This record gives sequence, C-alpha cells and structure tokens, in this order.
Amino acid sequence: MNKNDKEQNTSVWVKNLTVKFGSFTAVDHISFHVNSGEIFGFLGANGAGKTTTIRVLCGLLEPTSGEVRVAGLDPKKGLEAVKARVGYMSQKFTLYPDMTVDENLEFAAALHKIPSEVHKRRRAEGLEIIAFKAKTRQLVSELSGGTKQEVALVAALLHDPEILFLDEPTAGVSPVSRSRFWSIIRGLSHRGKTVFVTTHYMDEAENCGRIALMRDGRIVALDNPANLKKDTFPEPLYELTPRPGVKSDWLKNLRKDKAVLSVKPYGMRYHAIVSNARRWRELSRRMAGDFKARPIQPSLEDVFIRVVEGAK
Amino acid sequence: MKDPVNLNRAYAIAFKEVRHIWRDPFTLGLALGLPLLMVLFFGLAMDFNVHDIHLTSYDSDHSRSSRQLLETFESSGYFLLRQEPLIGNITEPLDANQAKAVLVIPPHFGRYVVSRMDSPVQVLIDGTDNSTAGVIGGYMEGIQSAANSRLANVSVSPVVTLKPRYLFNPELNSRWFTVPGLAAVVLAIISILLTAMTVAREWENGSMELLLSTPVHPVEIILGKLAPYVVLGLSAQALIYFLARFYFGIPFMGSHVLFILGTFLFVAAYMALGLLVSVTTRQQILAMQFSMMIGMLPNILLSGFIFPIENMPAFFQYLTMLFPARWFVLVIRGCFLRGSDLAQLAVPLLAMLFMATLFVTVAVRRFKKDVEP
Amino acid sequence: MKMNTTVMGFFKKELVQTLRDPRMRIMLFVMPIIQMTLFGIAISTETRNIKLAAVYKPNDFLMRRIVERCYSSQWFIPAKIGDMNDAFRMVQSGKADVVLIAPEKGLTRAVGRGGADVQLLIDSSNITKAEAVESYTQAILTQVLGEAFPEKNQNPPVRFVVRYLYNPEMVTSVFMVPSVLCMILLMVTLILSSSSMAREKESGTLETLLSSPATTTEILLGKSLPYVALGMAEFPLVIAVAVYGFGVPMRGSFWVLLFCALIFMCNAVALGILLSTFVKNLQQSAMAGFLFIFPAIQLSGVLYPVENMPWLLKYCAYLDPIMYFVNLLRNIMLKGGNLQVVVVNAGALVVMAFFAIGIASRRFHQTLN
Repeated sequence: MNKNDKEQNTSVWVKNLTVKFGSFTAVDHISFHVNSGEIFGFLGANGAGKTTTIRVLCGLLEPTSGEVRVAGLDPKKGLEAVKARVGYMSQKFTLYPDMTVDENLEFAAALHKIPSEVHKRRRAEGLEIIAFKAKTRQLVSELSGGTKQEVALVAALLHDPEILFLDEPTAGVSPVSRSRFWSIIRGLSHRGKTVFVTTHYMDEAENCGRIALMRDGRIVALDNPANLKKDTFPEPLYELTPRPGVKSDWLKNLRKDKAVLSVKPYGMRYHAIVSNARRWRELSRRMAGDFKARPIQPSLEDVFIRVVEGAK
Repeated sequence: MKDPVNLNRAYAIAFKEVRHIWRDPFTLGLALGLPLLMVLFFGLAMDFNVHDIHLTSYDSDHSRSSRQLLETFESSGYFLLRQEPLIGNITEPLDANQAKAVLVIPPHFGRYVVSRMDSPVQVLIDGTDNSTAGVIGGYMEGIQSAANSRLANVSVSPVVTLKPRYLFNPELNSRWFTVPGLAAVVLAIISILLTAMTVAREWENGSMELLLSTPVHPVEIILGKLAPYVVLGLSAQALIYFLARFYFGIPFMGSHVLFILGTFLFVAAYMALGLLVSVTTRQQILAMQFSMMIGMLPNILLSGFIFPIENMPAFFQYLTMLFPARWFVLVIRGCFLRGSDLAQLAVPLLAMLFMATLFVTVAVRRFKKDVEP
Repeated sequence: MKMNTTVMGFFKKELVQTLRDPRMRIMLFVMPIIQMTLFGIAISTETRNIKLAAVYKPNDFLMRRIVERCYSSQWFIPAKIGDMNDAFRMVQSGKADVVLIAPEKGLTRAVGRGGADVQLLIDSSNITKAEAVESYTQAILTQVLGEAFPEKNQNPPVRFVVRYLYNPEMVTSVFMVPSVLCMILLMVTLILSSSSMAREKESGTLETLLSSPATTTEILLGKSLPYVALGMAEFPLVIAVAVYGFGVPMRGSFWVLLFCALIFMCNAVALGILLSTFVKNLQQSAMAGFLFIFPAIQLSGVLYPVENMPWLLKYCAYLDPIMYFVNLLRNIMLKGGNLQVVVVNAGALVVMAFFAIGIASRRFHQTLN
C-alpha cells in the first residue's frame, strides 16, 4: 500500500496530530514527515506547540487525536519499543549536576540496560565526537554551559538511537559552543541518524535540511530554507542604512511611495520589501541623500516574521 | 561598599515576598490552616486521664470478698475487666499486649480478709508504656482504700486530710494544659520550615545571588523576607487563639498585649533561625532535614510541652534555655492560665528577644560572608 | 537472581547523590545519635524538683516535721519565695509549684482536737505534675502521721503489692529511647525518599527518566530501595546507642528485630514515595512530610495514650507506622517478643506498605498528561 511504503522510508510520520489540554489546544491538526538521516527543524515562538509535539513523539504525552509513527512504530502499540529507538534532550537540563560525567553516563546506560562492554565503547566514541577535553571525574555542575549540553548529547546517544529529539539544545549557550554543537549534529546526520531539533535561534535553522514553522499550534510553512526564502520573498529585499543627520520624517515619506511594500526595522538598519524593481531604483536614487540601499537575501528571520505576520 | 540600611528597599522586598506567598495558595493555606488543624485535632486527642484500661484478673479464690474486690475495680470507671482462668503464664496478657495490668487474687484471700489478716493481692503493671504505667500505679492507692472500706468495712479515717485546691485548672482539664503548649510547638515548626525552605529555594535557583549583587544591604533582605512571614505567623496564632478560647473554652487570664508581644518575638526568633539554616545550607533538601531536626523533636520533647523541664538533669535544664519554644510555653501558659504580669514574664520575653536578635545577627554575618570575597 | 541493571543503576545514583555531601552524611549518621542521646538523658517522666512552700506558724511542730520531710525527700525542693506571704501570689508568680497552708491555730493543735485540714494550693497548669504533687504530699503526710501517732495505725487487710514488669525501676529512658529512635528513623527515611522524587520533578530530570525505556516498577524500586538500605545502615547504630549507651534490655531475638526494622523502613520509604506523588516541588514535599510526621508523632501513643483518643483519631492512629514499630520495639526488646504481637504489628506495616506503593504506582503516570 502506498501509505505503508511512505511510512517505511520515514523516521517520523505525523498525521492530523492534535493535543488539547482541557480547553486549550496546544497542537492543532498538524501533519508532516521526517526522512531518515534528515536534520529537521521546528521553529516558532515559545508556546507555539514545539515542545508539546516533541513530547508526543518521544512518548511522553498522549495525543488527543491523530496518528503518529516514530521509527515506523506506533506509540499506542507500545511505548517501550519507541523509547528504545529514540534519544531525547529536553529543554530543562537533563543531567544531574551533583554527579560526575562518568556517573551520569553510567546511569544513562543503566536506564537503557546497556551491557558494560558496549557502554565503554559507545562512551569513548561519544566523548570523542564532542572532543571532550575536561576530566570525566568532574562534577557536571563545574562544566561550562556548552560542554554540559554536549555531555547531555552523549548521554542521549549511548543507546544508539535512530532518531534524536533535541528541544532547544543550544539555549543559553555561547555562540562558539553553538556552532560546535551544530557541527556535531551535522556529523550525526551524516552517519544516518535523524535529528529533530526545535530552536528559536533563526540563524541555526539554516543548518536544517527542512524547516517547519509553527504558530499557535499550526504549521504555517514547511520546506527547505532556500525554498522558504524564495517562496516567502518573491519580491526583492533591500537593506537600508540611514545616513547620519537624516531628516526624521524620511521613513514616513518612504512608506508613502507605492514601490515600497513594507519597511521594518532590523537592528540599526531597515529591511524594505519592494514591489517594483524599476520604480524602486528611481526612488532610491531620489532619496540617496537619506539612506544607502543594497540588495540582500532574506534571512530565515525575515521569513519567519513575514510568515507569522501573514498568518495573523 | 554598601549603602546604609534603607527601609524602603526592605519594604519593596517584603512586598515582593507577599506577592509570592499570595500566589502560592498551597503554602498560604498550609501556614494558616495547618496550625489551626493541628491544634484542633491534637487538642482533642490529648487526654492524660487514662480510662478504659484493659485489666486481666486471675481469681483463685472465688469468694464473696474476691468478687467484691473485682467490683471495686470495675466501679472505679477506669478499667475494663476480663477474667481468665489461671493456667500457664500469668504475664501472658501483658506479653501479648492484651492487657495493661494483671490482678492476681491468691486462693485464701477471702478467708484472710474476713479474719482481718494481711491479705496481699498482686498487681502487675506493664512498665513498657510510659503514658499509662505511672497513671495506673497512681490509681492503685485510691482503689485500695475503696476496697478496704467495701470489703472489711475499714475506713481509714485519716488524722489529717489534705484539701487540695487546683489553681489555674480547677478541673484538671487536659486540654487546658496541652492546647497552649501545642500551639507553641506547631508555630515553631511551621515558622522554621517556612523560612528555611523558601529562602533555600532562592539560594538554589540563584535569585538570592542576584539580589545580593545589587546595592541592597543584607539586613534589608532579611527584614524584607521575614516580615511577611512573621505577619503570617501572627495571623495563625490569632486563629489558634480563637480556637482555644471559643472551642476548647480555655480561659485567658493575662494580658493580651504581652501575649501578642510574646508571639511576635517567638515567631521572629524561629523564622530567623530558619533563615540561618537556609544561609548555612543553601540547598533545599538539606534545609528541610535540618529544620525538621531542630524544629520538630526538640520542641515536642524538650520545651516543657509535655515533659516538665524540672524533671530534667540540671545540665539539660540549662540547655533548654537555648530553645525559644521553652520560653514561649511559659509565656503562653502564663497568659492563658495564670494571669501572669509583665514582671513575671520579663525573663522569658527578654530571652526570646535576645535569641531573635542573635539569630538575625548571625544570619546577616553569614550573608555578608558569602558576598564579600 | 538476575540483577536488574536499571534498578542497580538507580541504587548507585541515589547513594552517590545522597552521600556525596558531607553535611548529609552527618545528618544521617551523627545527628540521630546525638538526638537520641539528648532526649534519652533529658526526658524523665518522674516528677521531681517540685518547688514547695509552706505557710505556718513557727511553733507548729507537726507542720514543720511534714515540711522538712518533704524537703528531704527526692521530690521537693524549697521554693525561693523571699518574703512573700501571699500563698496565691507564690504560685501565680511561678516561684512555687505548691503551697502547704496549715490551719489557723496550727496543725499540731488541730490534730489534738481531732480532724484537721491542710490546704494545698497546687499549680495545675501541668496536670500530671499536679496529680503527682498531690500523691507525693499524701504519701509523706501518711508517713509522718504514722510515726507521730503509732497507735492510730490501722492495718487494713487488703493490700496491693504493685510491681512494674519489664522495667521495674520505671526508668524513663527504657521507654523513651526506643520511641525516639523510631521517630527519628521515620523522619529521616521518609524525607529522604520523598524529597528525592520531588527533586526529580522540580529539576525536570523526571522527563528524562520517563523518556527512557525504564518501567514504572523499575523507577519506583530504584527510588525506594536505596533509602531502605540507608535506613538499615542507620538502624544498628541507633540500636547500639540504645542498648549499650542507655542499657535498654534486649530480651528478644535481634534477628527478629532486624527483620521488623526492614519492614518498617520499607513502609517509611513507601509512604515517602506516595507523598511525593502529590507534590510538584521540594518545598511542597517538605510541607507534606511535616503534615504526615507531626501527626504520626502525636498519635503514636508515646506521648499520651491512644486508648483515650476520640474514635476518629484512634482510627488515624491505626495508620501510624510509629505506633506499630514502637509496639514491636518494646515487645521484642523489653518483653522478649510475643509471636502474636509481632505478626500483627509487622503485618500491619506490610499491608500499609503495599497499599502505599500500590497507590503511588497508580498515581505515577508514565506520561505527562
């Protein structure tokens, strides 16, 4: 059957998933699938439904309605089997700060009943993947934020899961550590592991194969980053730098022009979406004394803001 | 260098704490409702006048006298009698926890009584249960006289009679004795637990560090944090007061002003102690264990609540002076039952004042110690 | 028997976390000993050091005899009343616990006329003390009168020979020490087990446990067995203090006692876990713990008798593990151990533990909703 074939090739398959807490709908009829070995990103503001979705996929929450298949298995038919194939890092910190790295990893192994020989091997591999430099006899509380998260990742990998669910894994971690973490994730994906990540750092989402944007429990966009940008911004995008000493009503004047669809502040500068390239060139030449313009590619942040606002 | 103490900031901290408490109905309900509930329940539970005591009797005599003796025991109202034939071990009912006392009437008892000879009867009391053993022993004298007058028509008319007047508690009502003491114990535990836990949690999740990194002075933090809980403690005591007066009918003979003052000092002292515990441990689980250890058993057992302090060896009598609860029991009993005045309560009040100040001072110093490098 | 890897893993983790902090080690092993010693020595149910004052004329020789005999007894000491002459004030100020007041014209004279009363003003804010005061005074009075008027001695035939079994000297520490032991053990194990679970909830590590293949049974066993072990490690220490420090007799079988202790620990830990299923964080678990322990101490029958309580509270007392374990301790150590008593009390603890764990596992959801 067609549906079965499709399910077999996917790591995660969700259809019409709905999760309600009393009268509050956290997840509203979402459907998507994740392929084997893919890095799949789930973006959205806090409260959009990302964590709830991940919890359902890990077997921690029961859906109100809808169908879910994780690693080809139906959680309703047996959570244990699903949990053995899945690794999970929650938003809150998953390790015990008052135990050492060794003790934490041993405990994680015990939870999954990993034999000690296997554990030794995987532990060494894991620590190498993250290029662990500190001492394993150190208390976790003494490690830096980035190292803590990496060790937590090793703990989640000890039972060699097919799929990793990472919920905001880089929250509160330094930019250097963040990029390190993502290179580790890319490495995992190359080895055939599926990585399902939620994040609210838009720049990180560039690392993903495909991204789903969530808002108010619904998926409002789902595609790879390049397509998302193309689809969301068919019109050209320009970055405007106001010149020093510019008149304060320059923005108002700019917005009055029909060539300009929207101008939004972006840090110290502005992003302008333009409807007509030719008219824009005239306009920017006319207002050259007020600002400098250059064409740019939309970032995922631009995409997100536009999509979310469009969905209003 | 920190600014001098600013009361406005303390007030702001207090206000935030109030918000916290208000939003956590669990803690609020517990702090107010719990003392009330405890005093109600255990005030009802505590009754030192023992009755319905199981007594097993072995009658080897079966005479009129022995029957009358058994009737005497029964009509005292204290005992529930059960006759057993004398086979096997006479201490069996005691060993098997079936009776608290055993009465053994020897074979020739009746004959001896009638001839006015010495007619001994064995009474074996279970000495393992302190709450009943002494009391049962105490009843024996009275029952012996009653038995003598009933069986042998011997009324021991004493040359001199003692006419006791029971002051402050004429009817020897257990509740009048226990409820005020119980209030002290319950308040002590709640006070120390509340502050120890709340503040330890802030240490653990880092918000205390945050507070200390501002120009706020440790004294302001302490005052600000303690004040709302002290008010809570006073409110709880007010509720207990109404319960004691109107449900248990305990009279209040003393000064309300002294009572409020005493409560304030007492609650403040224990809360300061709780604060000290939290500063020292900085962790909730440890704070919990510590508070329970300091706050529960010592207060129940050594505050004079049930076991009088005069009974203790001299060293311990001095040791208990370190427990604010010991002083407060004096104050609360003085106010309710004795009608004590300021002169009589001066020592306990001053002791509590001293202790509250001491604990707060030590707490401030320990706060500072961890801020300054 | 195959060792369950997950449960062993928990065992190691809980012990490591609990015992790592030296303060916790002190709390677990040193504090109970200190507390037991403190309470064992301090508490005495025997009333003494009673402050006695007397109001009588200097030439009242009988009265003086009585008062002097009181002071030389082990129970009474002279009250420091200074120059107070208001008997009521003496008691009310707390300077005297009891005041003896001779009749107007003197006791010696009154006796000669036949029939004399001595008034006793007793501070009754403490009932047991008041009753003790009265009976001691009566005893001394009878003694003095018996010597002064030997001819008036009538020997009533009926005479009670009272003996206190198992603890003939009525040494307080013999009954208090086992009771305190029991309270301390309950407090420590119950708080340990309930707070360990509450902390997992609060810090979010519970989610990690739930997302692993560990079953509810494994998690519950893993969270309780380590604390049973800790409790059992404490038990010999405190028993040693009781037996060698306080001379509490050990008339029954130590192994039976150990077995009962094991059951008690399981019970305490089960209750701790049950409590933790009702709370969300550590602070609440502290309150819940207190909510259980305080009534448990009150209703245990140690401070005052269970027989006297209103029926509702009596039923609650039947749910009190302290009551059962104190019964077991007293029966085994002091009475040598009666089969029926041991089976009934230990059985009650077992039943309670089963119920507690049963309810706890039903409440323990493998899912978060």
